[in-house]
Amino acid sequence: MTTRFELDALYIEEGERSSALAARVIAGLPAGVAVRYVADGRVAARPAAGAADPFGAGKRRMIILRRRSPFVMACPAGSSEFACCGYLIAALASNCPMDCGYCFLQEYLADNPGFQIYANYADLFGELDRIGRNAPARAIRVGTGELADSLAFDRLTGISRDLVDYFARREGLLLEFKTKTDEIENLLAIDPRGRTLVSWTLSPARVFTTTEHRTAPPVARIAAACRVLEAGYKVAFHLDPIIAYEGAARDYLALLDDLFDAIDPGRIAFISMGGLRMTPGLRGAARRRFPRDPMLVGEEVMAPDGRMRAFTPLRVGLYEKLRERIKLADANLAAYLCMESPSVHRRVFGAAPPAPHALGARLAGS
Amino acid sequence: MNAERTEAAAIDAAIDAWAAERRLPEAYRARWHALGEGDRAALYNVASALRLRTGQFAAAFDLIEELAVRAGVPPATILAGGEIRRILDGIGSAPGRARELLEALRAMRFPRLKVAAERIAAAVAALGLPAEIRVVLPRELGSDEVRVEISAHGGAQLERLIAAIAGHRAGLGKIAEMVGGAHSDDDEI
Ligand code: SF4
Repeated sequence: MTTRFELDALYIEEGERSSALAARVIAGLPAGVAVRYVADGRVAARPAAGAADPFGAGKRRMIILRRRSPFVMACPAGSSEFACCGYLIAALASNCPMDCGYCFLQEYLADNPGFQIYANYADLFGELDRIGRNAPARAIRVGTGELADSLAFDRLTGISRDLVDYFARREGLLLEFKTKTDEIENLLAIDPRGRTLVSWTLSPARVFTTTEHRTAPPVARIAAACRVLEAGYKVAFHLDPIIAYEGAARDYLALLDDLFDAIDPGRIAFISMGGLRMTPGLRGAARRRFPRDPMLVGEEVMAPDGRMRAFTPLRVGLYEKLRERIKLADANLAAYLCMESPSVHRRVFGAAPPAPHALGARLAGS
Repeated sequence: MNAERTEAAAIDAAIDAWAAERRLPEAYRARWHALGEGDRAALYNVASALRLRTGQFAAAFDLIEELAVRAGVPPATILAGGEIRRILDGIGSAPGRARELLEALRAMRFPRLKVAAERIAAAVAALGLPAEIRVVLPRELGSDEVRVEISAHGGAQLERLIAAIAGHRAGLGKIAEMVGGAHSDDDEI
C-alpha cells in the first residue's frame, strides 16, 4: 500500500463511544494521535478557528459520529441536462484524507471540513432493503465515493468488508467503490460474488505529481485494480477530471495504453470521462489553497452551466481522441461522459446518451 | 546590502502610494507585496509606465500570476518576454498600450483558444456571407451553440438572405462542427 495519511486527532461522539467502528479505529490508530470524546461530532467537523487552511486541517481530523439523515441520496450529477450514469449514492463518510487541487469538496464542504465517518453505517442496509422491496425489478447501483474516497483509511475502519458482504448476498444490487488509493487489503479477504465494482480515477503522472496530493501513484492504482480483478471484483476507471493542459492528449493516451497493457480491456466494466469543471467559487478556493498548481490555470472558460471548463473544441477534441483509443482497444468496452450535455455526448459517441436508468441497469447487470 | 534594502523599501512605498491613489482593493495590494522583490518592482514599472486603471491592473495582475504559475517562472520573467517588452517600450499612448498589454496577456494566457477562435473566425469570413447575416459564436467558445442572425427590412430582402443562408448550408454546418470540436488541430489539443 502506497498511501500514508496523517491524522492530528480522532474525535468520537459520546453516543458512538462503544460502536464497533470506534473500537476498530482506536485499535489501529497510529501512536501519538489524540483521541477526544465530544457530545456532538458535527461541532468538531466545523472549520477550525484560526487555522491558516481550515479545509486542509479538517482532513486531518477524523470524526466518528452518528449520521442523522438517510444514507442513500440521488447522484447530484443526475439531471435531464446531463448524460451521466445515474446511480444512488451512499453517504458513508464526508471529506477525504487526500488532497486533490481540483476537488469539489473544497467548496462543497468548506463549512464542514472535518473528515467524518458514520458509525451507524449499517443503517444503510435497511434503507437499501426498503428500496429493493419497492423496486424489485430494477438493478440498483450504489456508489460510496461521492463525498469521500471509498477506501481511504479502510485499513482502519474496515467498512468495506461489511459492505461487500451485504451486497454479495443481494441479487440486483451492485456496490461501487471509487478510489484513488491502493487500500485493497480488506477487499482481497472477501468474496464479492461479482456484486462489487471497484473503480479508480486515473490521471497521467504529471497531474498526479502536481495536483493529487497524498493519493496513490497511477501505476499503483492500476496494480491494485489488477489484484481486485483477480479476486473476483469488477473494475472500472474514471478519466475524470480530464485536464486539458498542453500535451494532455499524449499523456492521457499513454495512460490508456498503460491501463490496457495491464488489464485486458474486455474485463473492464466501463470507462467514464469528464473534463475538469469548476465553479468560480471552487476555482477561487482551489487557487487560494494551491497557488502554485499549474493544473488550475488552464484554458478554462465559463460554460453555460456556470462552471469553468476547457473551451469546447479543446475539450471535445480530447474526448474524441480518448474515445477512439478506447474503441481501438475493445469496441465493446462501455465508455461514458459524466456531466456533459447530450449534444457533446452525440458528438463524441455519435449517438444520444442512453437513459441513465439503462446505463445503471447495464452496469449492474454486466 | 543597505542600498538593496533601501531600494526595496522605496518600491514598497511606491506600491502603497499607487495602490492608495487607485483605490486598489486590499487583497490585491497584499498579493502584490507578497511577491518577490524583483516581481514587485517589475509589476510596479508596468502599472506606472502604462498608467493602468484599477480594473486593468487587477486583470493584468491575475493574468501575469496565472501565466507565471503555468510556466513555473517568476512573474518578472513573464513581463520580460518579447511581446510584453515591445508594448512597454512602445511609443503609443499609455491607455492604448495598456489595452494592448491586456490583449497580449490574454492571448498568452489562452493560446489555444486564440488559435481556435481565429481559425473559426477565418472560416466564417471565408463564407463571404452578406453583411446582414451574422454568425454569432459562443463567448470564448464556451459552448457548442452557434447562432445565425438575419437583419432584414422587408420581405424581399428577408427571402434573399434566407436563400443566401441556404446556399451556405454546408459551410455553416462546418462552422458549427468546428465550434463543437470537430476538425480540431492536433496542436490545439
Ligand atoms: S481523492 Fe477524491 S475526494 Fe479525495 S481529495 Fe481527491 S478528489 Fe477529493
